[in-house]
Amino acid sequence: MKIVGRHDEAPGVRTMKLEFQDPADHEIFKETFRTGMFGLYGVYGEGESTFCVASPETRKDYIECTFRQSGRVTSALVNADIGDLITFRGPYGNRFPIEEFHGKNLLFVSGGIALPPTRSVIWSCLDQREKFGKVTIVYGARSVADLVYKHELEEWQERSDVDLVLTVDPGGESPDWKNRVGFVPTVLEEAAPSPDNCIAVICGPPIMIKFTLISLKKLGFDESNVYTTLENRMKCGLGKCGRCNVGSVYVCKEGPVFTAAEVSLMPAGDL
Amino acid sequence: MTKILFSDKLDNCVERWKSAGLTVIGPVQRANISTYAAVEHAAELDFGLVLPDRSIKDLFFPQSEPMLRYTIKKESIDTDECLPPSGPRIIFGARPCDASGMAIDDPLFGWDYKDEYWFQRRNETVIVTIACTKADDFCMCTSLKMAPDSTKGSDIMLRPLAGNKGWLVEELTDRGREAFKTIADILQESSDPAAPLAVVEKKFDLDACVAWLQNPENFESRFWKEISMRCIGCASCTYLCPTCHCFDIQDEGDTYTGIRRKNWDSCSFALFTMHTSGHNPRSTQSARWRQRIMHKFNYFPGKFSVNSCSGCGRCSRQCPVDMGITETLQEISKLSL
Repeated sequence: MKIVGRHDEAPGVRTMKLEFQDPADHEIFKETFRTGMFGLYGVYGEGESTFCVASPETRKDYIECTFRQSGRVTSALVNADIGDLITFRGPYGNRFPIEEFHGKNLLFVSGGIALPPTRSVIWSCLDQREKFGKVTIVYGARSVADLVYKHELEEWQERSDVDLVLTVDPGGESPDWKNRVGFVPTVLEEAAPSPDNCIAVICGPPIMIKFTLISLKKLGFDESNVYTTLENRMKCGLGKCGRCNVGSVYVCKEGPVFTAAEVSLMPAGDL
Repeated sequence: MTKILFSDKLDNCVERWKSAGLTVIGPVQRANISTYAAVEHAAELDFGLVLPDRSIKDLFFPQSEPMLRYTIKKESIDTDECLPPSGPRIIFGARPCDASGMAIDDPLFGWDYKDEYWFQRRNETVIVTIACTKADDFCMCTSLKMAPDSTKGSDIMLRPLAGNKGWLVEELTDRGREAFKTIADILQESSDPAAPLAVVEKKFDLDACVAWLQNPENFESRFWKEISMRCIGCASCTYLCPTCHCFDIQDEGDTYTGIRRKNWDSCSFALFTMHTSGHNPRSTQSARWRQRIMHKFNYFPGKFSVNSCSGCGRCSRQCPVDMGITETLQEISKLSL
């Protein structure tokens, strides 16, 4: 894949836009990619890393990925220039069944660097806005600087057909911050979206997911209407290397998208 | 009347197979370790071992294997896929537990994406297994519902004659028959009886253990902490295990050229599941040992209808702190009484 665009979202967080070099590979991607799937992005000599495809299934001319620079591979990706070639294996895994969401209200809850997978679903729905009911997005980060996709947040804030609730953790606000201050689950409970005819999609760090699930339960959401993604360490993405399982469930093959009802059946001590 | 291969004719067989283009592999002593390796003469083979230290897994799923070579150029990146070195092979003198171990892993490497490295080697290798007339305290095939003469995964089964004179030949597959055609005239007909098989004591009740493992309440049992207290996370058990298949993918090279490799990995290591954020789903050694046992006797059979253990006992035999599957399942047997 050729890097055709780069954007720094937050300190240490970068988005890259990638174009296919081989038309045949691109065709396979167009035929198979659905929102929620992931890939293994790699730099020869450094290795591969697993992240979601952050672009929506309604825009398949390119792949966008967003990642935090933290290890060997992501550092190499950060050092790659526009025009450089990187590898992509995928798309792997299952997807958000968005056609089952038609006619329903949508609630997206996301924290920090977990907005990228949520964003893929958000745009996949917003690109066919008429098929869905009310769209509410609750997104928070540790600080104002840590919010990713700042331009898109502005765009969603301006749209009349999207309700965006932004928050930063206490202490993370800047002097000119006009949005909420508080942790995502608390802010979610204050915003109190109705569970009626509503699908919730939540992505975030394990601790945010844990408390957001509790908040959604309080708000009256049924576990089978709550979707999330599990982001375990992976090497092959093909159900063989043996590390991404939670209990008997292989996240790479049976996930990464699960309903809260499915997650509740998994052994909590393996999450 | 059964066909017999006499021990003193084995060197002729090795010669025949070699001239037919087969690489002949068997149990050998190398330095301080017993393993399976290519030999030139039958005399190099050591049939006195209960079981070599290393399993035949290494011959199908090597410790480190190149998957592709890359060369980074100014405008492009050239890559060459590395397929496994091909060529027909015959393993003479595998043990039933090792042979069945390979058959156990076939569905894993074959489901969904077919691992071509595994299957090319599987398809090009004849496995000639010798039934066991000796066992040690660690052998546990009978506890896994197998036996010292289980034929699963073998192309030919040889049953030793009394006095190490030779072996009764049982041809099991077309691949085995094909390899033994080349030595058909060396085999002799005889009614000599086979030596008695090794007696392997049953050490635990597998069904009771599986039922205990399948009970979700036992996932958080204190038992896991107690049984794995001694584990030092060295991964010897997983590396020597004929069925442990977990691997890592790593690049090795300089700025412009290098190799992407598939290397053995182990659920015993903390890094195996560590997230970038520092969060680790299996952050303790007890969670990791639980994963190994659950994987072998609960998750793997759930997917592939077979336990991921062939009862070789290497995990207990070679463990530096005297743990292993046997001890764990023996304790679980007691818990489920």
